[in-house]
Amino acid sequence: MKRLLLQFKQLLRDKYGLTGTIIFTFMVAIALLAPYLPIPDPNDMSAKAFLPPSPKHPLGTDHLGRDLLSRVIWGARTSLAVGIIAAGISALVGIMLGALAGYFGGVVDDVISRIIEIFLMMPTFFLVLFIVAVFGSNMAYIMIVIGLTTWPTTARITRAQVLSVREMTFVEAARAVGAGSRRILFKHVLPNAIHPAIANMVLLIGQAIMIEAALSYLGLGDPNFPSWGRIIYEGQPYILTAWWIPLFPGIALVLTVLSVNFIGDAFLRVMTPRFKTL
Amino acid sequence: MALSTYLTKRFLESILIIFAILLINFIIINSAPGDPARFMGGEVALSSPQYVQAIRERWGLDKPVYERFFIYVYNLLRGDLGYSYRYLQPVSTLILERLPTTLLLTITSTILAFLIGTFLGLKAVQRVGSKGDAFLTTLMFVFWSIPAFWLGIILIMIFGVQLKWFPISGLINVREMKTGIWYYLDILYHSVLPITTLTLITMPVYYKLTRDTAIQQLTEDYVTTFRAVGLDESRLFRRHVFRNAILPPITIFGLQLGYAIAGAALVETVFGWPGMGRLLLDSIYTRDYPVIMGIYLIISISVVLSNLIVDLVYMLLDPRIRVR
Repeated sequence: MKRLLLQFKQLLRDKYGLTGTIIFTFMVAIALLAPYLPIPDPNDMSAKAFLPPSPKHPLGTDHLGRDLLSRVIWGARTSLAVGIIAAGISALVGIMLGALAGYFGGVVDDVISRIIEIFLMMPTFFLVLFIVAVFGSNMAYIMIVIGLTTWPTTARITRAQVLSVREMTFVEAARAVGAGSRRILFKHVLPNAIHPAIANMVLLIGQAIMIEAALSYLGLGDPNFPSWGRIIYEGQPYILTAWWIPLFPGIALVLTVLSVNFIGDAFLRVMTPRFKTL
Repeated sequence: MALSTYLTKRFLESILIIFAILLINFIIINSAPGDPARFMGGEVALSSPQYVQAIRERWGLDKPVYERFFIYVYNLLRGDLGYSYRYLQPVSTLILERLPTTLLLTITSTILAFLIGTFLGLKAVQRVGSKGDAFLTTLMFVFWSIPAFWLGIILIMIFGVQLKWFPISGLINVREMKTGIWYYLDILYHSVLPITTLTLITMPVYYKLTRDTAIQQLTEDYVTTFRAVGLDESRLFRRHVFRNAILPPITIFGLQLGYAIAGAALVETVFGWPGMGRLLLDSIYTRDYPVIMGIYLIISISVVLSNLIVDLVYMLLDPRIRVR
């Protein structure tokens, strides 16, 4: 934990890391504060449709006269929730399987490694599409499915880390004093092997947000939540005249994913000091 | 490990993976709510008991689950991907019809992305830390973070609607049909924006991988020695750093092709491009499950196969693997 905090401090010293953290914090703040901000209800249709950006409606209104700024802000809640929860599920599965494979080796490793390879080769987006098509689109499904299809990279990274940490002297010392394998794995090996997986989880948030946006853009997202992809999907028929409808939610989407990618990448760089010398 | 053993191992592995994909495909369809026969028959099945019966017999739906799986695999091996009632055509025919248009987008953009991304990555690393390098790297980060469909819409708004340089939708201009070579040129003209979109979103991975690998190479001892001896810097890059830096981008070429196909499904939607991705989405909207399953299967298998091919190419390029 202490090491993680230290790395976070280093992260803020990195140009990309700092920019990413600022943008991401801003987006999270907006998402959390949405109900308290002085904006109209995202489903309120009292304004005129297709109003271009103006002081009253800074981002304009959509085809039903809903305030676009409000919808973009509420959309942040959906996108971020999906991103963070799906990435969490993905990281949990990936870290567990990767740790088991790396720590126990042998048959366990063989089986898990094969599963990782299989999932790595499956086109994630199509698997998600396929499952959503069969089971229907509901927010919980979408999060779980994204989580359960994106874990292999994390598993692979964790496995490699655990493999190297397992051989270190302090682990051998723990074994020598008679610590059980569960204790060794969770108390000694994992805390020292988990950092790259966490950096990867940050990148996964971006990936999950993109998948959700793509699903919503195709009209396969959960219709009960306003989301950036959905606003773009609804605005698509009118792009010849109402350019602002797809433009603004898209910018929010790009900024959020970009911030997460900045943070994840800077994190990786901080943790592999070899890159830092340049 | 001898070359032939390695080849056999990779080949068997690929077959295992394809088998696993079939199994997962099968499990998803079978765990779907409701009667699988009605499910596979789509809307027609609701009104026609005979049709449901025919599906049941063809796919052995009255038999136990494991037997059903083997019937499924057997049918696939004979090239029977099922039948689409919406199009009144076998799924395999439908897919084969759309395949060339999708391949035009995916293969062209994957190759372009590989060439441009790797080239820019090598250029950037020659001036690591310079303004140009920082600009390129940030730009690539942005393209990495842009969803394919949104970039498509933006390109349409700029180059289609505002500047009117390129057509915004479709495969050909249906208002004035062209013949002969002009027909194909018209397709190419219509493919400019979709291909640009796909190239831009798949390029950053190659750029980043090349640049990162090359930077790592620069910390190697041989580079220090090389510089200490005072040998020519451009020769160092050309003969050593670049050679090592282009290997990783080649290995991900196969996986990237799968990513490009996923992007193509979205891009085809934005540009009204009649390819496999468009077919897949139409089938999802109309619940045409045999088509959905068939396309998913074809895509998965092509990713596995392209990975296998890439591995072989890689082996020919990297002597260290060849010897092992």
